Amino acid sequence: MTRPDLIRFCRYLRAHGFSAGVTESLASVDALRAVESVDPAAVRWALRSSLCSSKDEWDSFDRLFDAFHSGERDAEQRPRIAGMEEPRGFWVLTGEPGEVRPTDREAATIAGASDYARLKNVDFSEVPQSDQPALDQLAQRLLKQMSWRLSRRRKLAPSRGVVDVRRTIRGNISGGGDLLKLRYKDRLRQPGRVVILLDISGSMSLYSMFLLRFAHALHRHFKRADTFVFSTRLVRIGAMLRSRKLADALKALNACPADWSGGTRIGASLREFNVRHARLLSRDTVFIILSDGWDTGNPDVLAAELASVRRRVRKVIWLNPLLGLPDYKPLTRGMAAALPHVDVFAPAHSLESLLELERHLGW
Amino acid sequence: MDRRWAIRFAVLLEAPTNPEDVRDIEAVVRGFEASGYVLDQPLATTLFLLLRLGKPLLIEGHAGVGKTEVAKALASFLAVELIRLQCYEGLDVNTAVYEWNYQKQLLAIKIHEKMEEEEIFSPKFLLERPLLRAIRAESVSPVLLIDEIDRADEAFEAFLLELLSDFQITIPELGTMCARHRPHVILTSNRTRELSDALKRRCLYHWIDYPDFEKELEIVRVRARGVKPELSAQTVGFVQQIRGLDLSKPPGVAETLDCIHSLEALGKTRLDAAGAEATLGCIAKSVDDATKIRSEGIERILSRAAP
Repeated sequence: MTRPDLIRFCRYLRAHGFSAGVTESLASVDALRAVESVDPAAVRWALRSSLCSSKDEWDSFDRLFDAFHSGERDAEQRPRIAGMEEPRGFWVLTGEPGEVRPTDREAATIAGASDYARLKNVDFSEVPQSDQPALDQLAQRLLKQMSWRLSRRRKLAPSRGVVDVRRTIRGNISGGGDLLKLRYKDRLRQPGRVVILLDISGSMSLYSMFLLRFAHALHRHFKRADTFVFSTRLVRIGAMLRSRKLADALKALNACPADWSGGTRIGASLREFNVRHARLLSRDTVFIILSDGWDTGNPDVLAAELASVRRRVRKVIWLNPLLGLPDYKPLTRGMAAALPHVDVFAPAHSLESLLELERHLGW
Repeated sequence: MDRRWAIRFAVLLEAPTNPEDVRDIEAVVRGFEASGYVLDQPLATTLFLLLRLGKPLLIEGHAGVGKTEVAKALASFLAVELIRLQCYEGLDVNTAVYEWNYQKQLLAIKIHEKMEEEEIFSPKFLLERPLLRAIRAESVSPVLLIDEIDRADEAFEAFLLELLSDFQITIPELGTMCARHRPHVILTSNRTRELSDALKRRCLYHWIDYPDFEKELEIVRVRARGVKPELSAQTVGFVQQIRGLDLSKPPGVAETLDCIHSLEALGKTRLDAAGAEATLGCIAKSVDDATKIRSEGIERILSRAAP
């Protein structure tokens, strides 16, 4: 492999979703130089070690390496996933969120307090088009405040921890070494982990957009948060929500090959989660499912998989937008099967109800 | 066992292998074999790069596939010291890098009434923890194993980043210490969380998968000497079948070895259903998994495993 070929190969990998940057390219040049002369057959493995940085990349490397060498190298502009057409966007994501036209903003400020209370309690599925931007702004502001409060509460923990011997000695040396003033150290309380599973099937489409915002807000507070969306299959979107600006996150999501507004198979999706991602769960995890519980799959599978999740985590929270309806009873087969394995069952139809959740997320 | 002791002993006597002397990948394979580690070509290539380029290596893989063993074998191959740092939640700089010996400092202050601050914070009151020890190695580069890095907090990971790029540690009271001999660093992770991109970027990467039948048999041959070939082959086949069962904790190579040792202790010369049932605890690490294997039918699995 020649140097220019190697650089082309790095670009080819990047076009196929590898995170390999310039540092890795340089490292691969070194690696190539190191093995080329001793064992040409090892070039593949040497490049794999220096250019991959995760199991996913590791698994697809061989295929890409072969494809590159069989002459596919110019196809750099192909879609990231072979065989995927330009993904069908999710309708609520196509509008530029958060961009409020001046007239709307004026309206929002004039409207004042009564509007604030009204918007906070309005059901997401009944928001009139004209209120959308105002609700958006309010949602962002309140969710931001919530994540701020969560982190403050952690820092102001009043309990006194153990004596910090190191700093105590340091501070008392001027007094001849008698330990008069004690310094304490508090146990650093880490926020736990949250794992969110968001239902994006057709029946949830009126709520999905707002719930995505909620997920985004949680990602701001919990560094160890991860989010998945599911309808008929499971897609991990945590990395996209991690971008700071909601607009950027939604843009990235729009290009994501998830089955927006499809059918629902909660049990099967949970099963997939348990098989592939169970390592994300631990005793300090809060597991949140946002779904209306309409499941076309087998309810026994749902119950078994949810029970298996619950054994591994601290708390399972099921948020159901339909709970906001006055006469709703969780009688659908899926919901009824899931309920025994849920610690908190709460509504998620309005901003107010989402903010209520703060209680269950504190540590 | 004798052989492994012989190797340990040889490590003490032998002059360390200079990484520069490792000419080709084959030399790595042979050297590891002498330390009792069966190495395939891809991993040998990665280790060769580790020695040649001096980059840290991040190893990921399922539990029990021998991630930690790689570091041990590397140390024994190079005949250098293995320094191990086991990561856990809440691991901080004081347990990983250095700590002042407070008791001794206090005593010294009491005994010598007037003591200058420089004296109290001098190297004789310093307790070396693994990372500092790796940096201060006197004569040769040791192997530094940072085990299960995914369990440490992000803050520690960030600290490690600095260490792995410059190989120097700053102690405020003493100044900066630079590594005279850069350690060979191996990090392992069980992927309970994603590591930061910056850390991954600095490392070579290797994923160790479950070995295939031939390789696992070879590992058993090397690690469990004196076991009847028939028993080994049957057990390995059995475990390989069980890995395909979609358990919550699939058995690793360590479990295979456990199972074989247990069967030996029970006086079995071949694996039958009764033996498999008796040693199921070595392979299935939860009630659910054991039930799943039983409902699949141990007899059936055994017959499928038979060549």
